[in-house]
Amino acid sequence: MTKAKVRNFFMYVFLIIVSFISVFPLYWMVSAATNKSAEVISGRLIPGTYFLENLKNLLANQNVGGAFANSVKYSVILTLVSLVVSSLAGYGFEIYHDKVKDGVMSVILLAMMVPFVATMIPLFQMFSKAGWLNTTIGFILPTISTPFLIMMFRQSARSFPHDIMEAARIDGLSEIRIFFQMFIPTMRSTYAAAMTITFMNAWNSYLWPKVIMTDATSQTMPMVVANLTQGYVTDYGMLMLAVLICTLPTAIVFFCLQNAFAEGITGAVK
Amino acid sequence: MKRKILAALLASTMVLSLVGCGGGSAEAPAADSGAAATEEAPAAEEAPAADSGAAEEAPAADAAAGGGTLTVWCWDPAFNLNAMYEAEKVYQKDHPDFKLNVVETPWEDIQTKVTTAATSGDLSTLPDIFLMQDNAFQKNVISFPDVCADLTNSGIDFSQFAAGKTAYSVVDGKNYGVPFDNGAVVACYRTDILEQAGLTIDDFTDITFDQYLENGKKVLEATGKPLISMQAGECDLLMMMMQSAGSSLFNADGTANIVGNDTLKIVLETYKSLKDAGVLVEVNSWDEYISSMVSGDVAGTINGCWIMASIQTAEDQKGNWALTNMPSLVGAANATNYSNNGGSSWAVTTNCKDQALATDFLASTFAGSTELYDNILSSGALATWAPAGDSDAYATPNEFFGGDAVSAKIVDFSTKVPSNITGVYYYEARDAVAVALTNYINGSDLDTELKTAEDTVNFNMGG
Amino acid sequence: MSKPKKMTLSKKHNLTGWVFLMPGALLILFMSFVPMFRALLLSFKTGVGAAMKSCGILNYTRMFQDTVFIQSIKNTFFYLIIQVPIMLIFALILASILNNKNLKFKGLFRTMIFLPCATSLVAYAVIFRSLFANNGIINLLFVKLGILDQPYAFLTNVWSARIVIIIALLWRWTGYNMVFYLSGLQNIEYSIYEAAKIDGASAVQTFFRITVPLLKPTILLTAIMSTNGTLQLFDESVNLTDGGPANASITMSHYIYNMSFKYVPNFGYAAAMSFLILVLVAILAFLQMKVGDKRD
Repeated sequence: MTKAKVRNFFMYVFLIIVSFISVFPLYWMVSAATNKSAEVISGRLIPGTYFLENLKNLLANQNVGGAFANSVKYSVILTLVSLVVSSLAGYGFEIYHDKVKDGVMSVILLAMMVPFVATMIPLFQMFSKAGWLNTTIGFILPTISTPFLIMMFRQSARSFPHDIMEAARIDGLSEIRIFFQMFIPTMRSTYAAAMTITFMNAWNSYLWPKVIMTDATSQTMPMVVANLTQGYVTDYGMLMLAVLICTLPTAIVFFCLQNAFAEGITGAVK
Repeated sequence: MKRKILAALLASTMVLSLVGCGGGSAEAPAADSGAAATEEAPAAEEAPAADSGAAEEAPAADAAAGGGTLTVWCWDPAFNLNAMYEAEKVYQKDHPDFKLNVVETPWEDIQTKVTTAATSGDLSTLPDIFLMQDNAFQKNVISFPDVCADLTNSGIDFSQFAAGKTAYSVVDGKNYGVPFDNGAVVACYRTDILEQAGLTIDDFTDITFDQYLENGKKVLEATGKPLISMQAGECDLLMMMMQSAGSSLFNADGTANIVGNDTLKIVLETYKSLKDAGVLVEVNSWDEYISSMVSGDVAGTINGCWIMASIQTAEDQKGNWALTNMPSLVGAANATNYSNNGGSSWAVTTNCKDQALATDFLASTFAGSTELYDNILSSGALATWAPAGDSDAYATPNEFFGGDAVSAKIVDFSTKVPSNITGVYYYEARDAVAVALTNYINGSDLDTELKTAEDTVNFNMGG
Repeated sequence: MSKPKKMTLSKKHNLTGWVFLMPGALLILFMSFVPMFRALLLSFKTGVGAAMKSCGILNYTRMFQDTVFIQSIKNTFFYLIIQVPIMLIFALILASILNNKNLKFKGLFRTMIFLPCATSLVAYAVIFRSLFANNGIINLLFVKLGILDQPYAFLTNVWSARIVIIIALLWRWTGYNMVFYLSGLQNIEYSIYEAAKIDGASAVQTFFRITVPLLKPTILLTAIMSTNGTLQLFDESVNLTDGGPANASITMSHYIYNMSFKYVPNFGYAAAMSFLILVLVAILAFLQMKVGDKRD
């Protein structure tokens, strides 16, 4: 018993240290958002009283509301569409796998290995011709289907129990209904993890939006943050507040979804 | 269910193939006629409808935008955007229907967008006017000859701008940019710290770097503080020193001027002696550089005059700062106490449908309105347009800098800055010299490092 | 009699599979492979900006004389070899600890460990630069503890700059990989662990005999992802050290970006260097697939 207790103790100490290291820079960010610029760069760690002033400056300086709304719109649409398209493909690759499909999968993996800088110009040509600059479709189309998500769903479909499928087929369920009614609920943890990651990537994406978004009205949150770093004078207090606002949505999404992918819905499946 | 999916699939395939073709046929005429053309030929036949549709749409949208409205890209709300809004107000007095659509775009993003648009051969996404870093001007005009409009005969009087400033945006004798903010180099010092070493601002005015080093040692001894901090691996100070003697990293014919450039050698040696004596301290990043000044870890700095805005955020140091010219190089031909760092100029794009409006707007504001320059002075935007410097606003004392009329002083500095050659491969050369500097400081042989730097630049130019 | 019927059923399933994967595959075809093909054509051309002409394989031979590019390859592989294994092992350990049913405050720990990758890049760069500054907390701490005599310029010395980049990567991405393992662990019946416990297996034995083998598909996924991510590493190099000192920490993608947007644009050469990255990642991914992608 005592041995287990000692082990437990060390486990908690370890977790607390790791968590502290993980969170410390974020604490710094929150605290910086309440301090004056000069205090931030001199490394002040204690929260200050400058929060409202930073907020006022930020709102006067940038169209935060508009950018936030844009980011939410683009990220939510992209996440939903992307999850359906990519999981369907990953499911298709694994459940109905054969040599040809495995080969196609390997080829698809190649698609994520070219640095985006190289394909950006040709992609821009296509989108500019199609009139998709400054549009939602322009933002989402290149990343709806990603090799990464397809592979993630393919890997997790490997553990989708075959007997469930056979039973469903005998019950007369069509293949697409098996996907929607059996696979999606069973793989809730994978979907939750994929949703967190996809949302985060969409929310933080910067290089592509900066090429295709040329209107003031279609700017996103990361673009607002970038705007704040470009002047002759950087107001670090204001910048950290903007960054904080830009970080919160992903953190909230993670917090809401984490139970779904970590707390085990295995009971429901069995 | 299945049918629906199939239908959706078919539809999306069609849309996608149209897109693919649209992009394909667009490049074919612009690019070469090699493999690309044969590959894309069938695609072009397939989708004539999509193409003509897109082509018709574009001019319609532009015509609507041309009715007295100009789109401008620039960055920094407190500075450049503010200046554009003030210019809009000035111009609206005579042209009540005139409107600006200013889109805040960081410089790096402007560069990415311009490069992307120009490389893909589709300039329709560019604005009417955009702000460009002076150091990138020659590179962009020469790399993308179709992007910037020639403003030489547009009615703008370029002779009223400081010659060293206009030179950045002149290519082959043609003017491509309207100079905007001043980057004249100033040396700022904490008089309260100098005092502890028995020195005053006069001991730093019109001096050489030898005297600067001696003064620096005194300050270091008395207070333990270095005179200046610099971001390691960045060669801002080197470039300022170079230009103060009118020297460049390139020759007039565009070839690299690194090996055998005596001024460059003196500059590197001076820098190292400052660093070895502890008079100059290197820091890791820009944030740390600013921090070292505003928190009083160093006794001063040397930089473009725009650095004053950052210094003035340290409100508790009001009255303790003073401003003068930079030290001159010892042993370099044509050494002066004046240089330039940073600054930007306005470019008009060829995509602008109403060139006359754009140039008239710039001619009557940034190249013709003392009122505008008076209005934006409080934001720290100093003119390089000579008539603005005569205005009363520029003679107002600045209490932060001990009641000195710093604005007039800086305008005076800027007229004395020697011009130099930026060169198309400016950033390549700058990075190569920064590598040489880092290695030289760490003990490498200077001549070997300069040879390597020149080889790197030549390699890049050979691409 | 039953044989032909089975044939049609498997044919039907085969077709269904294709229909399912088609939207995703087509999007990848048009959004990735078409531009990739055009980039490939571009890599055989040279010239400034829009005026380009064919140059054969010159761009490919050129990169082997490019000392900065060779340096960037070395740097990138250094990051790959050191950082990826440490990160994945660490993420696995954290995930298996946090998968423990009896652990208290699981949700809180998980969220805290995940948070770094949700942090916007700008903030994280500013924070890390500030932590490792000459008068930053790390230096302050080390001097106080007597480990250092005077502040050390972490970001401007060759090896410390590289190590700071690795620390930053570990800090940012360990929690991210942990998420995949946590989600993968849900597919392992918890009763297996309980059975192992009853059999007297130690925590280490359980980890290597049960967790690792059963998580193999997920480990493969994260290994390929991290390899790819590290070989395309860009943000840290640009924002933490700007590739310095003297290109000692510059990555391949950073150099390609400079070649495209900072320097006089040479997209042909940039594309050629990108294809070298593609080949390198593809080889590594192929090896990883060979080892890890077997259906039992």
